[in-house]
Amino acid sequence: MNEHISMRVNSARLSGIKGRTVRLPCKVLRLSDDIAIVEASDGGQVEIQRKNVDVTATYVEVIGSVVDASTIKAMATLPLDSEGELDMQLVNDVIELTFESRFDKLFPRYKETETSMPTH
Amino acid sequence: MSQLSSGICRRLNEAPQEEIDHLASGHTVQLLSIKKVAPTPSSTTATDRFRIIISDGVHFVQAMLATQLNDLVANGDINKNTVVVIDKLACNFVQDKRLIIILDLHVVSRDEEKIGSPTAPPPTQDAPAPSVVETASSSISAPATSSSTSQAKQPQPQPRTGPSGRGGRSVYPIEGLSPYQNNWTIKARVTQKSDIRTWSNQRGEGKLFNVTLMDESGEIRGTGFNAVVDELYEKFEEGKVYYISKARVNLAKKKFSNLQNDYELSLEKNTEVEECLETTSVPMMKYNFVELSSLEKLERDNTCDVIGVVKEVGPLGEITSKATNRTIPKRDLTIVDMSQFSVRLTLWGKQAEQFAADDLPVVAFKGVKVGDFGGRTLSMVSSSIMTISPDIEEAHLLRGWYDGIGTEKNFQSHTSGSSGASFGGFNRNEMRHLSDVKESQLGMSDKAEFFSTRATIMHIKSESISYPACPTQGCNKKVVDLGSGWRCEKCDKTFERPEYRYIMSMAVADWSGQAWLQGFNEAGLAVFGKTADEERNEAEYNALMAQASGVTFNFSCRAKQDTYNDQTRVRYGISRITSLDYREEAKHLVDLLKSPWAK
Repeated sequence: MNEHISMRVNSARLSGIKGRTVRLPCKVLRLSDDIAIVEASDGGQVEIQRKNVDVTATYVEVIGSVVDASTIKAMATLPLDSEGELDMQLVNDVIELTFESRFDKLFPRYKETETSMPTH
Repeated sequence: MSQLSSGICRRLNEAPQEEIDHLASGHTVQLLSIKKVAPTPSSTTATDRFRIIISDGVHFVQAMLATQLNDLVANGDINKNTVVVIDKLACNFVQDKRLIIILDLHVVSRDEEKIGSPTAPPPTQDAPAPSVVETASSSISAPATSSSTSQAKQPQPQPRTGPSGRGGRSVYPIEGLSPYQNNWTIKARVTQKSDIRTWSNQRGEGKLFNVTLMDESGEIRGTGFNAVVDELYEKFEEGKVYYISKARVNLAKKKFSNLQNDYELSLEKNTEVEECLETTSVPMMKYNFVELSSLEKLERDNTCDVIGVVKEVGPLGEITSKATNRTIPKRDLTIVDMSQFSVRLTLWGKQAEQFAADDLPVVAFKGVKVGDFGGRTLSMVSSSIMTISPDIEEAHLLRGWYDGIGTEKNFQSHTSGSSGASFGGFNRNEMRHLSDVKESQLGMSDKAEFFSTRATIMHIKSESISYPACPTQGCNKKVVDLGSGWRCEKCDKTFERPEYRYIMSMAVADWSGQAWLQGFNEAGLAVFGKTADEERNEAEYNALMAQASGVTFNFSCRAKQDTYNDQTRVRYGISRITSLDYREEAKHLVDLLKSPWAK
């Protein structure tokens, strides 16, 4: 039914959702041609595989698919700079809040990877 | 020459039974005389009994030597003028008289001269002889005075068990004062002394002054009129401790004082005031601090105590009292505390003029009045007390907190700083949404009411957004174009060019509804980012309007009823408008989600 889910995550939440599309708000630490090393809102570092994808700002939101618990293959990026500073603590708080069970109805949830069945 | 424990004789003479046992061990006294007393007829053993007179250099009292110590007399260990240390004594009360018995002692030195000129302990309130021997006395008298005041704390203060007429030094607690007993003495600190005030009304005129007196049990106000002012005003000094007696105890006139006591003292011609040098037991100041964040819970006109860091000191200003047509100096301070709130506090008169602390001091305020001018404000009244950098725990805590992290913090303000007819602090906790504002009919009563809200500008009435105003600072009246200039009626001046100021009606909306708000110059500046003076052609004008629509702001508004051509409507005026700091707002939302309310 709705496979196009992309939740905002931090580095800790990358585990267990291999293959899913996620959004990662992060700060770019190192940039090279194919790879970017970024720091997620919980402080963990993630490797971004970014062939042909531009990274134009210090703070970006990377939209991509999860390769493993510390790597994302980027499909697109959104620049997030707001006067040079982004309060990552605040971002992290919000991310953690969105996963709380009391908000299950508000946010889509990833289905379990193991029991992945086509839904219609 | 040995040092005697002066003051001990008086204590021995006055303290009650249970206390004596704790007293007096380890005190140094001189035996002025030892006399053999005829043994009681019933005693079978022919034991001698010795009556001795012990002196502390200031007073002397009679005592008996316990029989076990008789040997000391017999073999000459103790005799006239011997200085001894009392190791143990007892006190028997026989028929209203007290009998002190020395049970054990040891000799310090003999063959001394008589030390001091001890007199009989005073039956009435004479000036306490300044201690001839100071050093030993302070350590002794401190426990002695505290024990006497603790004794006095019993519900029915013990009348003197000693010979009557010793009403002098028995110290009452202030709490125990009542109009029905007038043979009392209080020992209290002057925490506040007012200026001499003169009055004149139909009944006559005169002068008066007030003092606030405090001891461990409570506080009481004392007032002296006319002749008493001349006598006693100079005697009282703030911060010093006095023995006071023979003042009249009256019912308190609560109108003039905010102290808790039901009674107050009238200082009269025969009131006795003596400075007391033993100040250790009288507390400095009792505070009951309220955190700035909870000031809103207090009603206006209440008094409270607060302590905070003076973050900002306003300039000295003047205000003309409508009642007396006199100008009174005033100064505003902004204080902050660990609850992360700030509030404005007003000083008046001499205090305003003399306030000169520029270095972010911690100041404690006692008995300041709560006002609701623009949220919450505090104001000094005649009985308020301000202490800069007090040596109390809360002050040290505040100092440490502010020096550490306080300077960085943004404080939530109880007041708004902008000019304008009336104020309204932006209070995030009391934010309402627009449908709530309309339904609760804010402003429907004649009084103006305030609220805060966050809304988005939908539309600005573009027919008239500015008007020509008088450029004089503070006067914003519309000026009339005479052709040769622009004239302001209020200032009676004519100007070549007016200053254009914004006046706008805006439709704002939030998720619940829409409302029309009236904004003045500050609002216009915030919305457009430009002054009204700049000339604009039509294209620019439209662009400006478009740019302003769809922007969200926090508004502090004042709702008031207005009658316009027989039509009565509620108008919402903007007293303060601020752009959103998304980070701040988001943080608040997160906090809200984490709060129990959201679970």
